[in-house]
Amino acid sequence: MVRKLRFGFLVLFVLLTLNLGLQPCSIALPGAKAPSCLKIGMLKVTGSPVYDPSGTFLGVTIPLKRAGRLILVEGIIDNIAGNLILDTGAEELVLNKTYFRNYSTTVSREAGGITGTAGTVEKTRISTLRFSEITVNGVMTDLAPLGHLENRRGVKILGLLGMAILKEYEMVLDVEGNELQIYRTDRNGNRLTTTRPAMKFDQIQKLERHRNIMFMTANIAGRPLYFCLDTGAESNVINLGAPKKVLSTVTITRRSTLRGVGSGEKEVLYGILNDFMVGSRKIGPMETILTDLTSMSDYYGTRIDGMLGFDFFRKGKFSFNLVKREIGICFNKEQP
Amino acid sequence: MRNLHVLIFLFLTAVFVPGARAQYDPAKVCRLDDGKMVFTIDRRWNAAQIKEVSTIFDLDSALIAGAFSGKTSLVIKGSAWTIRKVDATRFDLEKSTGATDQRYNRNEIILVDDKELRIAASALRESEPYGVNRLTFNTVIQAGNNRIRFFLPGRQNARTIYLSGSFNNWSTMQTPMLKTDSGWTVTLRLAPGKYTYKFIVDGKWSSDPYNKLRENDTHGGFNSVFFCYNYRFILKGYQSAKSLVVAGSFNNWRTNELKMIPYRGSWVLSAYIREGTHAYKFIVDGNWINDPACKVNRPDGMGNLNSFFSIGDTMIFRLNGYQDAQNIVLAGNFNGWNQGELFMTRIRNGWELPYVLGPGNYEYKYIVDGKWMIDPANPNTTGAGEFTNSFIAVKPNYTFTLKGFSGAREICLSGNFNGWSQTGYRMNHKNGVWDFSIYLQPGKYSYKFVVDGKWIMDPANELWEDNEYGTGNSVIWIEP
Repeated sequence: MVRKLRFGFLVLFVLLTLNLGLQPCSIALPGAKAPSCLKIGMLKVTGSPVYDPSGTFLGVTIPLKRAGRLILVEGIIDNIAGNLILDTGAEELVLNKTYFRNYSTTVSREAGGITGTAGTVEKTRISTLRFSEITVNGVMTDLAPLGHLENRRGVKILGLLGMAILKEYEMVLDVEGNELQIYRTDRNGNRLTTTRPAMKFDQIQKLERHRNIMFMTANIAGRPLYFCLDTGAESNVINLGAPKKVLSTVTITRRSTLRGVGSGEKEVLYGILNDFMVGSRKIGPMETILTDLTSMSDYYGTRIDGMLGFDFFRKGKFSFNLVKREIGICFNKEQP
Repeated sequence: MRNLHVLIFLFLTAVFVPGARAQYDPAKVCRLDDGKMVFTIDRRWNAAQIKEVSTIFDLDSALIAGAFSGKTSLVIKGSAWTIRKVDATRFDLEKSTGATDQRYNRNEIILVDDKELRIAASALRESEPYGVNRLTFNTVIQAGNNRIRFFLPGRQNARTIYLSGSFNNWSTMQTPMLKTDSGWTVTLRLAPGKYTYKFIVDGKWSSDPYNKLRENDTHGGFNSVFFCYNYRFILKGYQSAKSLVVAGSFNNWRTNELKMIPYRGSWVLSAYIREGTHAYKFIVDGNWINDPACKVNRPDGMGNLNSFFSIGDTMIFRLNGYQDAQNIVLAGNFNGWNQGELFMTRIRNGWELPYVLGPGNYEYKYIVDGKWMIDPANPNTTGAGEFTNSFIAVKPNYTFTLKGFSGAREICLSGNFNGWSQTGYRMNHKNGVWDFSIYLQPGKYSYKFVVDGKWIMDPANELWEDNEYGTGNSVIWIEP
């Protein structure tokens, strides 16, 4: 009788799995953050999206490509191949609407920060994202028109590889070497692999997180400022609302317009950051954009003085570890 | 001594007396001051300096003229400017930074200006008219039928090696190499031409260590360069010669570049040469000679003859009838619309001219005794009215089709490949389908059909993107 009951439960479980699209979790490594064991295929998910990064690797090196100053990772989403912009400034995986227009979507109202000004966002679900040796199943994604990025940089862009996918790992970004290393870590943030020991850094900074996005403190003109770390930004950004003493150290080199996704044209100033320091390390002159970041600060619920983009990340190798909440930097040789 | 004092006095006067010399430093023109951007301009600057500042900082010429004419405020393109006089020659142009009303878009990607990046990209895209390989080891071997075998020796401890290059759109996942007992290999079939490539060894980019031909990858490294050959120069005999070089119109007649090598009683050189018609000669120990095996020798305009060879498809341009015409000339964008170059030959029922063209899109017309006309036998045309030209695509690689619309009088194909011309490429109507074949380089293209003047997206193409009019453009990608 007991055996029959067990068999009945087993059959019931299998049927439920088939009907609801439930999938058993694919891997559970010792010490790794346990992936969600069940994912619901067609049901709407509220709250945080469910991610299940899987793969048999402990550490992997992913070759990066570049288009202009965009950093690209090649990937395949539901059998559509293309490039994803490595974008730590994006909270989620964001897909280019051009290629996923036929997916069923829901429209969500964004939590709007202090002023509540953020609008709506279109969301969908993909079955599989694969890049290098990493596979992620059943991912909720944002949809956005990204055709203008393709037109300006001449490459097929499937979307933005945002922090929701990347936060599970220790990431080492080497822009000069055009590679991204990704490591699984234990609950203390230490690498599980024994073949590639942790790096020795020139500088270690505290890493903070707001809505999945990474922030750190750096100094300009001796003032501590709060920066968003955005590998998707082709330029650094300084907030026009930064202290006068800070802005006075920036040489303004030109004025132009800046185009963003669906946001038309904005007036921006370009300049050179002359007095930028990370901890005790002075960083050589870097290009920057000066624009107003009030709305962005509202959205993340914290003061944001700037964003660090491509020109900053090309200065060295950067290890991002959200478990340890620290960023380690090995500066390139030419860096004083 | 007195002269020296006078000189020093004049120098100091020029440097320090206000008004004697205008300071010009674009880095000091703009500053930020309490929510305002302030541009300081000086009326003593010369016209070139004012123009430079106006360009760098996007300052309207009306604003600068207004400041110099004594205005104290102006509205330019909807922005309010305040003009303050600093001293007798300098003015501050002030404007609010006023960006606080701009809403934050969380999926925004910050891009820098394209200008600098475009220059780098266009330099890379330049197609080479010719080339020979410089390998120190056979890492790239061309076999028959344009099959190219890439081989990277050793690397036995590597887990994965991929080949990435211009032939696969620099894909990092598409072309894995197979491990053998002596290295890693993969074979591809490529069209003749120039290719750049790298290996990806366990995720790390590596140029070919055995290939001396390389070019800057614009990211601080080098891409290896390989030419898939399509031509072989052969000169029989001359076995006692010490050096033999081939030079021609394809390499600007450079005399020390394309050295031939002795091979089984002949001198040979394999190379990639761009499609088209080329003049050439051999240089045997410093003496120029024509190719004795070449049947086509033409005057060089200086009393000598050059040998000629052609690579590519020969198009036969034919115009039936016009038996009474004195002369008929072919002119097109392939020869700069030259009216006195390509004279057609009279044949039994008309006129014809064979001409070699490489892959591409071409417009042409016939000039019959001085009168321009389109090709009556070619239904593909572009332009309108007297600016209508015949159109031909050599080796077309994409055909646009539109089903239905059988009642339409005219349907044109318009896209970024023809500058979005409304009278772009006129499509053919055949068996209920409108079509147009075209040659497109690899890349992304957006397009629309213009049905009797009305713009529509391609109903059979599910790929489209937003445009500035909110009506959408259809999108295709042409892969290498």
